[in-house]
This record gives sequence, structure tokens and C-alpha cells, in this order.
Amino acid sequence: MLSKSQARLFFLIATVGFSGVFLWLTIDTMSQVGARSHVDQMNESVVRGKEIWERNNCMGCHTLLGEGAYYAPELTKVVDRRGKEWMRVFLKDPQAMYPGQRKMVQYDFTDAEIEDVIAFFEWIGRIDTNGFPREPDMAPPTAPVQVSAASSGDASPAVFGTICVACHSFRGKGGNVGPALDGVGDRYKADTLRTWLSDPQAVKPGTAMPQLNLSDDQLDELTRFLMASHATSGS
Amino acid sequence: MNQLKYESWKVAWAFFATCMVLLTLQIVYGFIMGFAHMGLDGLHEWIPFNTARASHTNLLVVWLLGGFMGSAYYIIPDEAQREIWSVKLAWVQWGSLVVVAVTALIGFHFNWWEGRKFLEIPRPLDYLVVVNVLAFLLNIGMTILKGKRYTTTALTLLAGLLAAALLYLPGMITFDSQVLDSYFRWWVVHLWVEGVWELVMGAILSYLLIKLSGVDREIIEKWLYIIVGLTFLSGILGTGHHYYWIGTPRYWLMVGGVFSALEPLAFLGMALYTVAMARRGGRRHDNRVALLWSVGCGIMSFVGAGFLGFAHTLPQVNVYTHGTLVTAMHGHLAFWGAYAMLNFAMIGYALPEMTGRKAYEHWANEWAFWVSNIGMVAMTGAFAVAGITQVYLERRVGMDFLEVQDAVSVHFLGLVLAASLFTIGIGLFIWVFIQYGTPLKMVVASPSASSTGNPE
Repeated sequence: MLSKSQARLFFLIATVGFSGVFLWLTIDTMSQVGARSHVDQMNESVVRGKEIWERNNCMGCHTLLGEGAYYAPELTKVVDRRGKEWMRVFLKDPQAMYPGQRKMVQYDFTDAEIEDVIAFFEWIGRIDTNGFPREPDMAPPTAPVQVSAASSGDASPAVFGTICVACHSFRGKGGNVGPALDGVGDRYKADTLRTWLSDPQAVKPGTAMPQLNLSDDQLDELTRFLMASHATSGS
Repeated sequence: MNQLKYESWKVAWAFFATCMVLLTLQIVYGFIMGFAHMGLDGLHEWIPFNTARASHTNLLVVWLLGGFMGSAYYIIPDEAQREIWSVKLAWVQWGSLVVVAVTALIGFHFNWWEGRKFLEIPRPLDYLVVVNVLAFLLNIGMTILKGKRYTTTALTLLAGLLAAALLYLPGMITFDSQVLDSYFRWWVVHLWVEGVWELVMGAILSYLLIKLSGVDREIIEKWLYIIVGLTFLSGILGTGHHYYWIGTPRYWLMVGGVFSALEPLAFLGMALYTVAMARRGGRRHDNRVALLWSVGCGIMSFVGAGFLGFAHTLPQVNVYTHGTLVTAMHGHLAFWGAYAMLNFAMIGYALPEMTGRKAYEHWANEWAFWVSNIGMVAMTGAFAVAGITQVYLERRVGMDFLEVQDAVSVHFLGLVLAASLFTIGIGLFIWVFIQYGTPLKMVVASPSASSTGNPE
């Protein structure tokens, strides 16, 4: 049977030996992570974004690279999933995007801070993560949110596919927070719709519709697109 | 027994009492989060989820470390057979740790923190923690040195605490890259809980088994070496399971997978060791409940840390479960089994020795053990069902995060109910703690800390 001194020797060899291997692997890892994480693309905006991420303990609700808490979505590929437009609107007023649902703290970010946060996520999204997060392998074949405008002649504006359908459905696809947008052109006049899109609170105080801060061009394009949607043309 | 053996045991008592307060607060924040998951987030404006979460986990870390420190202030003088090197320093160290902990906790409510999981304490306070821990290590180190009685148990405990202090430092380096930040954050978090804390755990369990089972010290300490040897053999490279998906090379999938698979061995060793020694003991110590917590700790650490850790540590599983409630499932039973129960065992053993009262005969002791354990196992079950459902719906079917959270919110009702049961168990434990009262008085004429009249 093992003696106490042999047991001690086993402990010492295991500890020293495996610490050595671990340090060696660490050195090798350090030589590779620069390329794997595209450290050359880690500009000042990305670093500022990381500071904002840490200063507000975003990890206290979200996960990033799968690390954090499990109260809010995983954000490694958030730029791919949502698009920058959507993120800009969301970060301005998170609760407006999901009225009555789980709340995110309203941080009152400036536009510059929002761009930094997005740059940080964009950088994170490009890291070679050995395949995490994996694409859902049992997902239904159709893409859940993106709307293709192929059926109608007029192409849907980019902002429609990235922002509006997160809450509204259109031709059977999209979110269910706000009313469906099919036939919306029958229900409103163009200038009413345009005012609504530019400042929902002015039209209906207390509405859950978020302030989207769209540019004039985007407003024109979106209004034109929505006014072209008629109930009869839908089906 | 009507006098206190060592003045430092009063400090140990103060640490243990602090543990009970911090644990109570930890549970309160846990409930806040459980209700928030059910949609009852009325406190959102004042205590948003990230505040509750940082408070919950950091309170855990502080009370466990506080418990280790209290245990050291109890065990080290007893092993060295002399008073602690400086009683005054020990009191200062206790007081300053409480101040740092309370400051950090309040800071979390005012967005003063670092958003780095488990290490949320802001940097200025980190430096205070370092000074505090240095004072602690100096004190117990000098005690061992002056006592000139170098037992394996005492040295393992010292080594564990020293290594824990050293490993805190990589967590204080600032990195611009999230990948490096994460890489070295795990040096603290993983190498603590699946490395050097197990050294502390092994040492405290050894001390308790020597005292409670009457098995020969040489045998117990021999197995202590084997277990901590297994811990490092598996645990150091087992850090690799945190390096699967953070931008580190692909070989970590294999290294992490293989060595994580070995990690349960150390905990299995711990479980078999406590059970075997407890059965083997010739002496029947009156304090059965301390032995119950010791054996329970060995077993539950294997189930929670070893078995449930293994359940989602292999890369092909982890790619789906990483960052879901499955992690919370493993985390709760692991910390409870390995480290919370360890502190409860130590407190359960030390209180009658400190206070001279035999409250371990009180009925509430065993009820505290069973009710809290059943509650925690049920909580783990609730997390497991919620976590596995989340993995399937979100990671495999591709449903939206919030829709999935709606689908699993019912399991949080189960969680809160189980947590209520757990809380009753903890309440009973604290009630017994209060029954014991404060420590005995020291007999004044203790001329120096020399060995006059050591009862042996």
C-alpha cells in the first residue's frame, strides 16, 4: 500500500507537472489568439465599446462568448442576427422595442457610445470561436424574420426588414408585438403615417411604438413602401 | 470545558457569524432573480437583474472565503498548538473585510463595478482585498512558523489559501481584448473552485475527520495528498473547458474535454474518503451533526461539482449548453455541495467547542441538514428542466430567446418553491447558530502564548 511519502510525491509531481504543461499551452495560446481574434481590427472604438460593456456589467444579464448570466440573449453574433440599424434603435430605448416584456436597464447611451458598443460586438462576432454558437440544427426550414419582397414589385426598404418586422408581422412573417402591417396603406394617409413613423408619441401619447430616429430619406422610403400595401393585394 | 482555548477562536466566530448574515443576503438576491425570471420584476428600477446577480454571486464568494478564513483562525492555532500570531491583526483583518464587502455590495446598486463575471468588485477595492488577504496570510503563516508543528493538514490549508491569494492577481490585469480578459479571468475563477479551493476543502475535511472519526492522522493525511494530487492532475488542464469558445486554439477542445472528464475523480475521491473515514472511525464523537455535514459535503460535492459538471463539460454537449440555464443548474449544486456544506460542517463542529454549549443535540440540526439539502436538490432539478428545455428550443430549434424564456418561466415557480424549502433549512441552521450564543471568555491569566497548560 502507498506510504504517506509516496502520496506526497504523487501530489507534487501532479501539481508541478500539469502546471508546467498548462503554462506551456498558455504561451502557445497567446501566440495564436491575436490572429484568431483579428486583434489588428480592434480599434479604439472597439476598446471603448468593451469599457461600456464592463462599466455597466452587461454580463450581469447577457452572455458574450457564452459567458455571463442567463437573463438576456447571447450576444456573440448579435450584429449578424439583428443588424446595426435595429441595434441603434434598440439601444436608444430598449423597453420600447419589447413593451410589457422582460426589461433592460435604460442606459441613455449617446449616439457615439452606441456606435462603440456596436463596433465591439462586430469585433466579437468575427472571432474564431471554434463554431460557437452553433446554428440551430432542428430549425424549421424558413428564415424566421427576414421578409423578402420578391412577391410584390417594390423592394422593401432595408430598415423594414431589420427593424419593423421585429415587432410587426407582414405577409405572415415577423413579430407579434405590434399589429400586422398587411393592408396598412388602406388605413392611413401618407402624411399621417409619415408623422407616426417619425414621432409616435406626438400622434398617440403613451404608445408602445418606439421612437426610431429615422432619416428623412428612410421615412420617405418606408412611407412609400407601407402605403403600397393594400389588403386586396396581399392575398 | 468552560474556557476558550484560543483568543483567535473569537475571531473565527465573528467570521462565521458574518457568513450567516451574508448568506441570508445572498438568498434574498436569489429570490429577486427567481421572481424576475417569472416576470415579477417590480424591483427593476432599484435592483435590476445585473445588480441582483452580481450581489448574489459576490456575496457567495465573500461568505465562502470568510468561512475559510474563520476556519483557518480556528484550525491553525489548534494545529500549531499556540495562539494566533497577532489577535489584534486578526480583528483588524475581519473588520476591514466586512467594510470592503459592504462597500462593494452598496456600489453594485450604484453601477460601481467591473462587468466581469464573479470578479465584479471594482478595481480600487481589489487592492484593499489584496492588502487584507496579505495580512491574513502573514498572521496564519507566522502562527505555523512560531508553532513549529508543521502538520500536513495545516500546511495544505496554508498552501490552498496562499495559492488562492496569488491566483487573484491575474484577475486584476487590464486587457483591451475580451479574449485575453476572459482567458485570465478563468485563472482566478476556475483555478480557485476547481483547484486551490479544493486544497482548502481537503484540509478542512481532514481536520474534521481527524477530530470526529478518530482515524489515525497519518492515514487521513496520506489520502489528503492523493485527493489534492488528483485535483491538480485533472483541474489545472481542466481549465480548458472554459477555453472552447472564446477565441483560443482548437486543441483546447481536446485538452479541456479529456481533463474535465477526469475532474469528477477528485470529487469522487473526496466522497469515498469522507464516507470511508467516517465509517472506519473507532471513536464516536458526540457531535454527530458535524460529521453528517462533512460526509454530506463529500457526497454532494461529487454529485454537484463532479457529476453535474461532467454532464455538460464535453465539447460536443457544451457547444449547445454553454451560456444557458444548464450552467446555473451545475453551479448551484456544485457550490452548495463543495463549499457551502464544507463551511457548515466546520461551523457545526466549531460552535460547541467555542461556546461550550452542546446545541448539536438540538432537533433542528438534522432538520436543517435534510431540509436545506432536499431544497437545493429540488432547485437543481428546476434549473435542469428549464435549462434542457432552453437548450432544445433556443439552441436546436432556433426559437427566439424571449419566447423560450416565456416557455420555461413556469419552472421558475418550481425553483422559487424549492428555494423556499432550502431557505427554511438555512433558517433552522441559523437558528441553531443563535442558540449557541457567543464564544466563551478567555481566562485572563494567559501570560504568553506559550504552551503552559495545554490540555493534551
